[in-house]
Amino acid sequence: MLAVRAALRTRTVGALLALLAACVLVLPGVVKGDGTPEGELHILLTYTLGFAFGILCLATLWAACALFAAEIDSARMQLSAVKPVRAAEFWAGKWLALLALNGVALLAVYAGVYAQVRWRTHRDGWEAVEQPVSRRVAHPLLPTPRQEARETLDELRARNELPHGYSERTILRVLEEKAHEKYTEIPPGRQQAWRFRLSRPLRTSETVTVRLRFETEYNTRAQVTGICRLGCVETARAVEVPLDDFTLKEIEFAVDARAFGQAPEAGLRTFELSFEHTGDAQHAPGLLLRFRKDVALLTPGGSFWMNLLRAAAVHGSVLALLAAFGLTLSVCFSLPVAAFVATVLLVLTMVGNSVVQVVSEEDAKKWSNRAGVLVSRTVHGATRHALQAEPLAALTNGERLDAGMLRASVGWNALLLPLLLAAAGCAVLRRRELADAE
Amino acid sequence: MTRAATRRREGNVPESKQPVIETRGLRKVFRDFWRRPTVEAVKGLDLTVNDGEVFGLLGPNGSGKSTTIKMLLGLLRPTAGLVRVLGAAPDDTRAKARIGYLPEVSHLHPFLTPRETLMYYASLFGMPRKEAVRRTHELLVMVDLEHAADRAVGGFSKGMARRVGLAQALVNAPDLLILDEPTSGLDPIGSREVKDLVRALAQGGVSVLMTSHLLADVEDVCDRVAILERGALRAEGMIADLLRQPDAVRFEVEGLDEPAAAAVRAELEAHTGRRVRQEYPAMSLERYFLQVVAQDGRQRTFALAPFLGTAPADTERLTPNSQLPIPNS
Repeated sequence: MLAVRAALRTRTVGALLALLAACVLVLPGVVKGDGTPEGELHILLTYTLGFAFGILCLATLWAACALFAAEIDSARMQLSAVKPVRAAEFWAGKWLALLALNGVALLAVYAGVYAQVRWRTHRDGWEAVEQPVSRRVAHPLLPTPRQEARETLDELRARNELPHGYSERTILRVLEEKAHEKYTEIPPGRQQAWRFRLSRPLRTSETVTVRLRFETEYNTRAQVTGICRLGCVETARAVEVPLDDFTLKEIEFAVDARAFGQAPEAGLRTFELSFEHTGDAQHAPGLLLRFRKDVALLTPGGSFWMNLLRAAAVHGSVLALLAAFGLTLSVCFSLPVAAFVATVLLVLTMVGNSVVQVVSEEDAKKWSNRAGVLVSRTVHGATRHALQAEPLAALTNGERLDAGMLRASVGWNALLLPLLLAAAGCAVLRRRELADAE
Repeated sequence: MTRAATRRREGNVPESKQPVIETRGLRKVFRDFWRRPTVEAVKGLDLTVNDGEVFGLLGPNGSGKSTTIKMLLGLLRPTAGLVRVLGAAPDDTRAKARIGYLPEVSHLHPFLTPRETLMYYASLFGMPRKEAVRRTHELLVMVDLEHAADRAVGGFSKGMARRVGLAQALVNAPDLLILDEPTSGLDPIGSREVKDLVRALAQGGVSVLMTSHLLADVEDVCDRVAILERGALRAEGMIADLLRQPDAVRFEVEGLDEPAAAAVRAELEAHTGRRVRQEYPAMSLERYFLQVVAQDGRQRTFALAPFLGTAPADTERLTPNSQLPIPNS
């Protein structure tokens, strides 16, 4: 508590709180959307929360870098280190103090955004917008990317078409990465079907929303038409919806569950969705979809504010990880060095994913790229699990952050990785001399 | 607090000579970034500080006093040699719980008040909150900072910050007090008060290791001293033994006029066959200053009695009613 109280008396924390307040209160008024409620909501959720979270990330990282380093540099640590306190207690105390400060700031930001959503909903009639809701997302039942990659690898091997100069492990990794983002074309006259299994049965009083995202050529997409059929396997009833507006790259339509007939006791759980391209075979372009990402069924999944709270928990867990990372760096280095290393690694984490995706295996083999690619892949690999949850995207899409993702995020970011970082930091703290030759 | 110290404070056990600090062949070599040795700050130091004694570590700048203290506290790691503090290694938390430390510069958190500072350090000792509050209050009274207890330490003068530093060193009622230049930054009154405090604590059974550049301070309070130079021990012993001049005798007589003094001197010279030096003793400037300030009504004594349960017996208290003569100025 004393650490928190002392921090609140510094000008830096005052300035940070003012910046966050400006972010929440001023930014939505300054950044203009496209005039639609969806656009306004997008601004409010993405820009405001994104900026505020970015500020908190940097503040947390740098503050953590300063906590031990500044105390050791100023010799203030000497007074504490001679007390009967273990290195782990010091580390944990500072980490928890940072978490407490960040937790309060983060909750204040989220509360501010929630209040604005409520106010704008009331003032501007956003009730019609579907996004301030929380919906469970079901994706098609498909082989996992790893399974798909292995099958492709087996096929390539059988045809003796494996690329030379690369290990099978590398080929498998590349195939798996491509499987995530693989586009499949549905040409005119063709039909594609997918099967879904909902994580929670659909009640007859609820609706199920079909979402299709796609890529088409800009000039010819108006000529795409199709028919979507959504059928429930349990009741053997289907609903057919003709589609003729493909200009927005995304189509959503809702179907009342009552349309599938009387639900069995176990509820409606298994669905089949098919899309038939009915466009002109001569002029209409094919429809490009990533089956794993672009086709989804959305069902009610709790309230918006609970989803907002889940997003805050994911963001809080990332801040916990940054605090742990900064603290461990601050045990090892002086403040400028710790802050520099932390910032560089943060940037590498942010660009690492892009580098991994953009750089081809051929380019990665060039000697001039080797070091950069190796570092980017290492950082990406180390942070992949920690940063896989995308709370802002989920909020703006009205998707519920599922419990598994939340558990993984909190488990990795707020428990496992901080534990490892704490072990490393404490080992250094126990060995490090806290005084100098003076 | 050790049982022996507790019993000594109660006055029913004779002083023991158990070592509270022991170093054998203690050596410290500082190295640069590339691990090349730059300076050997301490060279094979053998030192013993016994329970209940006030031990002074003297030496010029760069002699290794602070380095030695920091090795005793576990802030620096010895290059070689053995260190035992209160019978344990310096990083033993049980031993640390019984040590109070005042560094040369207090290094306090500037945004905390003295009250919060003491509460914070009390919490590091795992002290229950109720006891910490009581202890904090006692210490604030003792160092005469009650009036500034809720002001941020960052705005304090060096002397006030030093008092807070001293209070934090006593927050756990230590068995061993390590003071690095305890009177540094204090005015003569503050210096005197610290010396009074050290003596009082020693009488209560606390062992004290202190360093100081001010030899008079050390002479006033220490039982034993060690003198370091360039990291090596040059002399060690009881102050009385080290300073004794066995071949000289001094008489002090009050009310002797000049002719009588001349006659006595002549008689002594005739008796010894040596020249006899005649002096008119003066009080020290410190003592004179303290009397003037005390006479001026600026009483600012450490309130030791409630803290220790006893008042220092052989120290002079600075009060306006001091019985010391004030020369005309």
